[in-house]
Amino acid sequence: MQTVDMQQLKSGEINLGTSIMAVQFKDGVVLGADSRTTSGSYIANRVSDKLTHIHDRIYCCRSGSAADTQAVADIVHYHLQMHTQQSGDRPSVHTAATLFEKLCYENKDALSAGIIVAGWDKDVGPSVYNIPLGGGLFKQPWAIGGSGSTYVYGYCDATYQDGWDRDQTVEFVKNTLALAMSRDGSSGGVIRMCVITEEGVERLFIPGNELPKFWEGVEVLPPLSFKPKQQDPSGPVPMAVEA
Amino acid sequence: MSIMEYNGGSVIAMVGKDCVAIASDLRLGVQSLSISSNFQKIFPVTDRIYVGLPGLASDVTTLHEQFRYRVNMYTIKEEREIEPQTFAQMVSSTLYERRFGPYFIEPVIAGMQRTPSGSYEPFIAATDLIGCLNFAKDFVVAGTASSELFGAAEGLWEPDLEAEDLFETISQTLLNAVDRDTFSGWGAVVHVMTKDKVITRTLKGRMD
Amino acid sequence: MTSFYSGPGFDFSNTVRNNFLQDRGLPLPKATSTGTTIVGCIYKDGVVLGADTRATEGPIVADKNCEKIHYITESIRCCGAGTAADTEFTTALISSNMEMHALSTGRKPRVVTAMTMLKQMLFRYQGHVGAALVLGGVDVTGPHLFTIAPHGSTDKLPYVTMGSGSLAAMAVFEAGWKPDMTREEALELVVAAISAGIFNDLGSGSNVDACVITANKTEMLRNFVRPNERVTKERSYGFRRGTTAWKKEQIRSLIVSEEVVKHGEAMDVS
Repeated sequence: MQTVDMQQLKSGEINLGTSIMAVQFKDGVVLGADSRTTSGSYIANRVSDKLTHIHDRIYCCRSGSAADTQAVADIVHYHLQMHTQQSGDRPSVHTAATLFEKLCYENKDALSAGIIVAGWDKDVGPSVYNIPLGGGLFKQPWAIGGSGSTYVYGYCDATYQDGWDRDQTVEFVKNTLALAMSRDGSSGGVIRMCVITEEGVERLFIPGNELPKFWEGVEVLPPLSFKPKQQDPSGPVPMAVEA
Repeated sequence: MSIMEYNGGSVIAMVGKDCVAIASDLRLGVQSLSISSNFQKIFPVTDRIYVGLPGLASDVTTLHEQFRYRVNMYTIKEEREIEPQTFAQMVSSTLYERRFGPYFIEPVIAGMQRTPSGSYEPFIAATDLIGCLNFAKDFVVAGTASSELFGAAEGLWEPDLEAEDLFETISQTLLNAVDRDTFSGWGAVVHVMTKDKVITRTLKGRMD
Repeated sequence: MTSFYSGPGFDFSNTVRNNFLQDRGLPLPKATSTGTTIVGCIYKDGVVLGADTRATEGPIVADKNCEKIHYITESIRCCGAGTAADTEFTTALISSNMEMHALSTGRKPRVVTAMTMLKQMLFRYQGHVGAALVLGGVDVTGPHLFTIAPHGSTDKLPYVTMGSGSLAAMAVFEAGWKPDMTREEALELVVAAISAGIFNDLGSGSNVDACVITANKTEMLRNFVRPNERVTKERSYGFRRGTTAWKKEQIRSLIVSEEVVKHGEAMDVS
């Protein structure tokens, strides 16, 4: 049911090729993202931060056009600041997510933005909202997004379980992103993560040379000791070719 | 074919020693058909500023009127004549205002700029069709023969030419360049400006 | 025709005509673009910006020594790549707005303020204003360096490159950059990066412009390195006076001459 093609960016536009995700656990949420932004085949930024601050206990993961998602995030940030000043209270994650959804849906023809909003609020505790390309608001225990996410849906379905603690969740995010980044050419670099709980926000960083390793293939060429068998004279004969 | 080539025409301006020169061809055509051999593309703005407007002929007239209006408004408001530098900025802003629907003109400006000490120094500038200014120290070119003019001027121009020598250099540069452009030619006109006079000469050129 | 008052912003009244001409197979001519290598680099106590000085119009070099480091405020500068007129006017507009902002707040303006103004303007025009910028400067919060792409996305990094020569320049940065460089090291690296663009990218050329910004001083090093100086011609190609045949001459004198004619006897003023 996807109506907007993510690859249909304006020419020369800077793209967040991206693997992003957010996962809920008992006390909070864990957000994670790779760090690659591309312009065509050129890596415009190899250490970008796609986990964007929206409010004290709300962050979002951005995928799609860098310009569009930054503009949307800036607008939501502005509205929530106004909201806080006027009501004297922190906004709920649902409020933030609804604002994102409204902007993404009403401007669906002009935007290419896939956003995951996650955070903690005192009404419902931790929550994760997914806002896919043309708009729509989906509350999920975990959400993945960006071009890299297609490679790891099966892994997430097979691995995720309710009732994890903080460390188990961080490990899950880290492994999922490492798998996505290894298969997706538009994702890569480092892993940035963000743990949001009632107490505060903790930022985690995994450098590119310390990513979790998985099966990386084996040598498929024959070993050096391998000797091809002598040709059977009675076997098939190569066709003669004129010089 | 580009819109700039619809009517044809080229302009060049050069700096000399205490003098400037601006020159253009005189052709007006409709694609390959020549219509007039006396189409003026260079206009006086003040006593000491000339502007050349090569490009689409209808826009030559429109922009010339527009500049005349704006310069007159400036003169009335400021109660003084506009300086070449200021006029160049005015040309640039006028064109950039139509960034998303431009006039098909690449103006060339030549004039004598008043210095704080009261003397005059040569000034030339050119813009593209959306108003990007190019202040050159030597020469500027525009129009359908611009690539030929660039080559010829690069070879022939030298610093500190006296007014009469500058006349020869700019004339030969223009005549030889437009002879290699089908859309330019049919005669030429040259203005050489010093601090106290403007010499305007109509050149003998190929009429084919 | 010319209206007495024209409102602010762009004038689109020629677009119908131009689209008609375009549909008739007369394509729009090329605007001047700055093929360009522009870079920026943060060092120990400031920012160094760099740019080449070539402007192109298709395959033609339109300007051999143009200025691509634009003034925003005294301690904020901006390098521009892309459509030359757009970089020129966008930076001029933001520079004006920054001055107004500084005057109305009574504070020294910040780099993020310029960055936000630029990105919001470029985003509003959805990439049609083709300005790719490197914004650098020092404010009360320290040195900052940003890139702003034509669609309005921004990146904050310790060293950045943009324009057609960005790949060549980035290769130099990736090989030679280290944290907490001195002014001399940073300037040398920026010159090396721009030189890589000048010599390896066809859209870039001529000289290296640099700008060193610190908390209390900004040095604009115009034509800091000139590796492509033209040698003086061995012979003069001047023409003998009278070479060019002309048909008509008209001389306009700009000297206002006055003749004082004495009338009657001088008044006795003794």
